[in-house]
Amino acid sequence: MLGEAVRSIGANLSTTVAATMTVLIGMFLLGLVIAFATYARSWSDDVKAGLVVKVFHDRDATPQQVNALRVQLEKNPHVDKDRIEFISAQEGLAQMRKERPDLFGTDLPYNPLGPAWTVYPTKAEYVEEIAAAIGQGTKAAPYPAGVHNVTYGKEKAKRILKVANIINAIFGIAVLVLLSAAAILIANTIRLSIFARRREIEVMKLVGATNWFVRGPFMLEGLICGLVGSLLAVILLFVSKEAALPSLLPRLTSDPDVQALGFWLNAMILLGLGLLLGAAGSGLTLRRFLRV
Amino acid sequence: MTDIPTALAEPGPQETPAAAAGAGAMIVFENVAKVYDPNVVALEGASFVIEKGEFVFLVGPSGSGKSTLIRLLLKEIEPTTGRIIIGGRDLGRLPHRKVPQLRRNIGCVFQDFKLLSDRTTSENVAYALKVQGESRNAIRRKVPEVLGLVGLTHKGNSYPDELSGGEQQRVSIARAFVNHPPLLVCDEPTGNLDPDTSVGIMQLLYRINRSGTTVLMATHDREMVDKMRRRVIALEDGRIARDERRGGYASE
Repeated sequence: MLGEAVRSIGANLSTTVAATMTVLIGMFLLGLVIAFATYARSWSDDVKAGLVVKVFHDRDATPQQVNALRVQLEKNPHVDKDRIEFISAQEGLAQMRKERPDLFGTDLPYNPLGPAWTVYPTKAEYVEEIAAAIGQGTKAAPYPAGVHNVTYGKEKAKRILKVANIINAIFGIAVLVLLSAAAILIANTIRLSIFARRREIEVMKLVGATNWFVRGPFMLEGLICGLVGSLLAVILLFVSKEAALPSLLPRLTSDPDVQALGFWLNAMILLGLGLLLGAAGSGLTLRRFLRV
Repeated sequence: MTDIPTALAEPGPQETPAAAAGAGAMIVFENVAKVYDPNVVALEGASFVIEKGEFVFLVGPSGSGKSTLIRLLLKEIEPTTGRIIIGGRDLGRLPHRKVPQLRRNIGCVFQDFKLLSDRTTSENVAYALKVQGESRNAIRRKVPEVLGLVGLTHKGNSYPDELSGGEQQRVSIARAFVNHPPLLVCDEPTGNLDPDTSVGIMQLLYRINRSGTTVLMATHDREMVDKMRRRVIALEDGRIARDERRGGYASE
């Protein structure tokens, strides 16, 4: 049966090559999409992971007030309980001296800072709710006693989440469109191939070939199209990765936490999808056009 | 050579009195009608029995229903009404997946040969065996044998377009007969051939018939039918107009 499939590919080389090229292009783009989408996702996750709520106490906040806030934070279901970080006034000052030596020089008459909290949400989306839950006061005194300010990078957080969602949606749609296009193109190629060989099919049926004997070569042809196409796409992706990444790298964030999906995992996905597309494409056509 | 493969020889469990009556029958048509959409009657009230080993001509003008009858035999199409029994098997009850098995037991020869142009004579004949999952050894043994029978031993490596019409028809007969099917169905096998070549083809079919194979041959070849004096079933407008033991092309 493999022999028949190879023979049929040889006999319809042009259509088979066309289908393979389409799979190649589709899979190449899909590979890029996967790489960029996973990179964007990783980047937005990284930024999201950096979203925290900061609570600043007054300089003269009492230990009772500070403790009350801790209790309140620990009760909040959106707060990651293992990551409520207390920063004492001294630690805060040391930190600020490092970050802004121009403002917090060595010769301050007294420490202007109060104790503070860095609160990590269980999910980045919750920062706003956590901040709102702390600030249950009037307009004149928006925060509980002893709390001076609550910040959570409101605008930045919103923008990042929005951008990440849009990126994910666009990439998702692109992947969907590309996959369906590739499947339809394979289906069409198999249809052409069936049409080109309708005489052979007629003879097969006449001499009593079983349905699977008739279908098998077409099925294999679709599978080979899908597999070879995606294999070439993987090779092309590898080559362009080797060629393009060195010049791209300096422009990308150097944060080691931000990573695209590993190349070989991406390649395996493409190959698997190529096979699946070949099977789906040829199966679709065979059901419709090869009623034995 | 006269061994009849069990698929056709053994009557199925669905055997009926009518089928039992013709226990030696190869083909039984019981009041078969075929109506194509929309309301084109191709065959109507066709009833006949063809016994094993018979040689039967199917004659009639174009459009009289000969091809429909042959397609019904191969279960390419289903009858609108009536029953068709081949080798004891009711085609109406033959499940779809068993159709290939049926066709392996019916050799088919057509006017346009239906050879694969990208395969040699040997490969074309071997194709029928390959499709049925025959082993390489069996193929190597059977192909030269049947090519010898049709007189094409020396043309095994020729492609169809290197052969004459008569030779191509011999290849197609070899392909149809390589399995020694109990039934050989021919749809105008000499339709494209000159009279001398036709005689050769007829002699070949006659030889095959004498070896025990039932032959049903649709034809326009008046001279041939008149000369052979075999059973003739004549169709006219989808009805059986005549069924004679030793008939001629036209009624006498």
